[in-house]
Amino acid sequence: MKEKKENNKVSTSLFRKRWKKFKSLKRGYYSFLIILTLYLISFILPIFIGRDALIVKYNGEFYFPIFKYQSAESLGQNLQGEANYRLLKKQYQEEGGDNWVFMPIYPYGPNENLLSELEGNPPHPPSSEHWAGTDDRGRDVFARLAYGFNIGLSFSIIVTLFAYFIGISVGGTLGFYGGKIDIFGLRLIEMWSTIPFLYTIIIISSIIQPNFILLTFVLTLFGWIGITYYVRGEFYREKARDYVSAAVSMGAKNKTIIFRHILPNSLTPVISFAPFAIVANIFSLVSLDFLGFGLPPPTPSWGQLMQQGLVNIEYWWLIATPLVSMFLTLLSITFIGEAIREAFDPKVYSRLR
Amino acid sequence: MKPENILEVKDLKVKFPVTGGLFLRKVAEVKAVDGVSFELRKGETLGLVGESGCGKSTIGKAIINILKFSAPDVEITGEVYMRIEDKEVNLLELTRGEIREYRGMIQMIFQDPYSSLNARMSVGQIIEEPMLYHTDLNKKQRTERVSWLLEKVGLQTEQSKRYPHEFSGGQRQRIGIARALSTNPKIIIADEPVSALDVSIQAQVINLLQELQGEFDLSILFIAHDLSVVEHISSRIAVMYLGNIAELGPGERIYHKPIHPYSKALLSAVPLPNPKLKNKERIILKGDVPTPMNKPSGCGFRTRCPIARKECADFIPELEIKEEQHYAACPFV
Ligand SMILES: Nc1ncnc2c1ncn2[C@@H]1O[C@H](COP(=O)(O)OP(=O)(O)OP(=O)(O)O)[C@@H](O)[C@H]1O
Ligand code: SF4
Ligand SMILES: [Mg+2]
Repeated sequence: MKEKKENNKVSTSLFRKRWKKFKSLKRGYYSFLIILTLYLISFILPIFIGRDALIVKYNGEFYFPIFKYQSAESLGQNLQGEANYRLLKKQYQEEGGDNWVFMPIYPYGPNENLLSELEGNPPHPPSSEHWAGTDDRGRDVFARLAYGFNIGLSFSIIVTLFAYFIGISVGGTLGFYGGKIDIFGLRLIEMWSTIPFLYTIIIISSIIQPNFILLTFVLTLFGWIGITYYVRGEFYREKARDYVSAAVSMGAKNKTIIFRHILPNSLTPVISFAPFAIVANIFSLVSLDFLGFGLPPPTPSWGQLMQQGLVNIEYWWLIATPLVSMFLTLLSITFIGEAIREAFDPKVYSRLR
Repeated sequence: MKPENILEVKDLKVKFPVTGGLFLRKVAEVKAVDGVSFELRKGETLGLVGESGCGKSTIGKAIINILKFSAPDVEITGEVYMRIEDKEVNLLELTRGEIREYRGMIQMIFQDPYSSLNARMSVGQIIEEPMLYHTDLNKKQRTERVSWLLEKVGLQTEQSKRYPHEFSGGQRQRIGIARALSTNPKIIIADEPVSALDVSIQAQVINLLQELQGEFDLSILFIAHDLSVVEHISSRIAVMYLGNIAELGPGERIYHKPIHPYSKALLSAVPLPNPKLKNKERIILKGDVPTPMNKPSGCGFRTRCPIARKECADFIPELEIKEEQHYAACPFV
């Protein structure tokens, strides 16, 4: 009876074991859930935050402006170009007819100029309408922060993926083949890493207007080196271990040895450094935006808001809100990274639990 | 190659260069194996015994030609002939591609049961892997064979879905044995397959190997670090000291009437089951084992040999025949 129970015990792969441990590290696990949820939501953000109505009922017909452009005239609004749904909503309410407008919970877009609806000069301080005030062009800061979160995180995840792809390929090649390839490869990497990243990007930005793809490309070019050393070291060490010798003694080909044996056993540093790399890349983007060499306007960006705030320090919300957002994001991701590192630690007891 | 042999090792030398300085020049070398010759007969178990660091594992790895992979700088000379049906091939001459087709014939059980299993693969996958390269079995047949092998080595079929970290050292060693057997090899190099195990389990594993040997007509090179383990299983025993074979002969004789001074000392260190019966004097060797990096000149054993003379520094003793089938590398006994 007891024996049987033992046999039915679900077997745990190393990955599942680590995932279980990760889940037990509350701080990191909850941070992970929060960041993941927010990030997923940020892909459908126009449903929650945006200027376009979700549904409009006009003269017995339904319209979905969130998916399809509607001119103001076609909805009975006396405006040129696209309808302004906030005003339309008021208009319909005043008319008291059958028509109605269903807006997102927070009905302001990130790039929308609100000067015509607001009194006084921008930036406007935080209010119950505009939770984080507006910026110097009368755009809603909260909406910009929310959209900036998606752009910042997506950007850094993409850069991290590309950089890791290059880093793992190069590091794996150097560590696996060793010898002359390794020595020459390392010298080339050392030469490459002496090129100052910030100057390069400033020079490039002063020649051509940087965009998402260009910035991804440049940051990747400079971001792959760190992980390369780690992967190289792992490959070098794992290659000399007996399970790899055993694979050679079975007649496995290099491809099998690399992808089936060495690579899966060399990913510990890759996985445990990933969150910190993402943090670093978010930080890079914010810095570049701050300095004015980042994503082109009017892309919602945290760094650009901070820069506005710094120009005129009395508009404190322009500094405080992006700073707090960035702080919370980076802190959560760092918690995730810390928990991942802990989960990969073979020691049973953890100081984080 | 003599017809009764399945493996012949001739003057095998393995050197690991020690590099240093800015340009990684060779500053010294570790002579891990320093001119070893022996033969493995068909169906026999040859015991290879010696202290830690004397080069036993290195011989095993050199025979199956895997050292070049894990230590690319290694220098290997000599010949290792293997008989396959009516062909003789020198395993050391073959490239990695050429040797691949013979790999299923000769398999190794690795010494360290912890580092020799890939932690990311389930036990089933580990045992199945050699079949992927050397057999045409389909998935179902492979799975059946994995179960059969697991039962053979005393594990349960259900355990094939588990991962190595869920097993004890002894169980892992059995997984290693099952993996080595999975392609039906003719030769097994068993590198201290029992030294990681409890005494009670040691006997089980040795019995298992013997059983399998009869069943599969295996020839086994059985590596161990003391004589007591190999006595029961080996027909012949080779005693190694610092990269050389000191004595080679039938197990019975090595165990009861050793010739070489080193084997005598090694044997006297074996705990005897009944001390009253054999009241032998214990020979304690003086000094430490020299490292293979700075081997003494002449006879490698001379710094610790109780009967060493001045001449021993001047020549390297070769294995010479002392009795029938019984060789020792010392002219003074
Ligand atoms: N890859 C390597 N690089 C450098 N030196 C090595 C390497 N492998 C083994 N050696 C050296 O070769 C010598 C023989 O090692 P080997 O592992 O063959 O000993 P062994 O007889 O198997 O010992 P043990 O009983 O402890 O397993 C040792 O001095 C060891 O340090
Ligand atoms: S050759 Fe000399 S040192 Fe070596 S074992 Fe014989 S007596 Fe001892
Ligand atoms: Mg060994």
